[in-house]
Amino acid sequence: MTKVRVAQLSCGPEYSGVQKEIDEAAAAVDAEIFYPDINLADIRRASNEFGLDVRSADLKLAIARGKALVEGKVEADAVFIATCFRCAEAAIVRNELRRYIHENSKLPVVSYSFTERTTAGTLLTRMEALTTIARRRALLAREVQEGTTLGVDSGSSTTKAVVMIDNEIAGTGWLPTTAVMKSAQDVISRALDEAGVKIADVEAIGTTGYGRFLVGKEIKADLIQEELTVNSKGAVYLADSQHGPSTVIDIGGMDNKAISVQDGIPGSFTMGGICAGASGRFLEMTAKRLGVDITELGPLAMKGTSGNVPMNSYCIVFGTQSLVNALAAGSTPEDVAAAACHSVAEQVFEQQLQEVDIKEPVIMVGGTSLIQGLVRAMGDLLQTKVVVPHHSQYIGAVGSALLSSGFIKGE
Amino acid sequence: MTEYKPLYVGTVTKYVFVESPDMTPGDLAIRAYEISRGVMIKETCFGLQITGKEEDVNAVIGMLRELDPAHIFVKDRGFPPGDPRRCRANLGGARPGYYGHEFEISLIRNVSKGLESLASRDPERVPNPPSPESGMALDISKLKKIIESMEG
Amino acid sequence: MAKVFIYPATSLILSDLVARFGHSPLSAAIQIRERIQTPGLDSPPLQITPEEPKKGLKYAAVEVPSGVRGRMSLYGPMIEKAEAAIIINDADYAFGCMGCARTNELIKFLVRSSGIPVLDLNYPKSEGEGEEFVAAIHAFLKELGESG
Repeated sequence: MTKVRVAQLSCGPEYSGVQKEIDEAAAAVDAEIFYPDINLADIRRASNEFGLDVRSADLKLAIARGKALVEGKVEADAVFIATCFRCAEAAIVRNELRRYIHENSKLPVVSYSFTERTTAGTLLTRMEALTTIARRRALLAREVQEGTTLGVDSGSSTTKAVVMIDNEIAGTGWLPTTAVMKSAQDVISRALDEAGVKIADVEAIGTTGYGRFLVGKEIKADLIQEELTVNSKGAVYLADSQHGPSTVIDIGGMDNKAISVQDGIPGSFTMGGICAGASGRFLEMTAKRLGVDITELGPLAMKGTSGNVPMNSYCIVFGTQSLVNALAAGSTPEDVAAAACHSVAEQVFEQQLQEVDIKEPVIMVGGTSLIQGLVRAMGDLLQTKVVVPHHSQYIGAVGSALLSSGFIKGE
Repeated sequence: MTEYKPLYVGTVTKYVFVESPDMTPGDLAIRAYEISRGVMIKETCFGLQITGKEEDVNAVIGMLRELDPAHIFVKDRGFPPGDPRRCRANLGGARPGYYGHEFEISLIRNVSKGLESLASRDPERVPNPPSPESGMALDISKLKKIIESMEG
Repeated sequence: MAKVFIYPATSLILSDLVARFGHSPLSAAIQIRERIQTPGLDSPPLQITPEEPKKGLKYAAVEVPSGVRGRMSLYGPMIEKAEAAIIINDADYAFGCMGCARTNELIKFLVRSSGIPVLDLNYPKSEGEGEEFVAAIHAFLKELGESG
């Protein structure tokens, strides 16, 4: 397999001691990092033409290298933009450069802000998604599920399985993740039972999520794929929005994904979450504290007003403290539920949605998309109607089942 | 984490740039090989990289400088020559430091001129170098005169 | 022979003139060489490990980006050793070790507040400026030699 050539546009990784981590993450997915070759005249010209007058020379260099890619002077398969976390100048460049490349080329691009603690493991999913988009465009172009396929999403909080037969969801299984393999096997059995088929009838299998490698190896999956590409594929498929632009938001148990999608293929994406306070985990804690099941939190929030309760879930510990304080001060459970939903939506909006271009339709997927209060809060913040497709909680499993059908005829 | 075992420990590498009407990097290389004294010499598009024990490298550089003192420039390098971590062939593009050299070389003839004229300069003459202040705003009285002349 | 910190620390022109006029230039290359020639954990390309930004905490707080602190782990000790400094202020095209504007602001501040003699210049844009530029550096270094 030829290596995917990932152009690195960056400022600071060599001096943060993390360049090796970037190189290792790329190597793990059979990609190689390279630096577009330009000259000083290109740097001067690019600074003027791009119009962003930055002081840091390495950012000027990054802009010039990005321009060389867009202008086709240097060829690449994908782009990785990386700058230091907490640098305002670099954040502006990172974002504008990402937007410029996304709008003016077909190159998949991911941006990331690192600290000295960034590891190859953290970067792996992003790098895998980048190389998948570059390498498997044909596979990602699939719009119809064929035959009998199984998709398994081994997530950090929950494990999901879906059996699809001839472009229909025939069976599903869902369980909280305990032991990774045991949870996977249980949800697979449930999905197969509901679909009325046996594992031998399954023609192709796809896995995604944190446990994808372990589960994929064990059940001999045809496709083992990170959740960024799989979920965006599943989202546009279920939302019947496979053509044109869309934005996929997945607030997960451990991290959040925001993906700009064009014709079903992710163009740029972010993945992260500084604290569990900006994740589904915080909503679980809220439900527990309110003494309701997580499935009841959404309807409860719909009856409340978030503005009545001061809450900032930037940190899960302090967020929980706000929760306790509000209840002690006599706030209604409805208002508290609404405030928790608003807080999580706001964190995702502030931390991640600034790094992708929001284009309608905005599709919310994953387990948290079933919490209506959260969907409403996100819609309010984005001032748009958020689409939640059917089976949205099975998004990774559906995406895996859809994509894996590409392997039936050995495609 | 893998262990790092350095190569060329105890050596220094220096760049020797030549930007001269009378001498090419090729000429410089020939001369350097003649007097190399066991140091490692690598030709580049702008001159040479010389690697070896510091005193040997300095001795060779001292002799080279004499060939065209105002047009030969020397600088330390952190890496040994051809190091894969800095090599263009491996990185896809030039290492960042290359562009800095490219920039300084573009105005180094001005420095050469300064070096040439230094010996004949009156030592009492106080230098008036370009400085952050030299690009300061126009004196207000001058501005006033310009405005008046425009109005006229 | 005085230890002269040069800014940009990657400057060929300053490195050459300081050495040519008999002093010892403190440049980025010397710091990088030290790391490249020291055994330890493999951290290409510069052998700057994630420990370096932590060492940089001596010069900048934790909310300062890791790239600034990593670079400061190179420059901080050099500035502490410096007996004089020459600063070219319009060094807009110095990359890599000098590629971060925030680091560069801090470097200049630390140099200026250390109390060592500092010569502030711009790049010579003409031959006439070149003559004054070289003469100024020569005179500055000569004075160091006499006082040191």
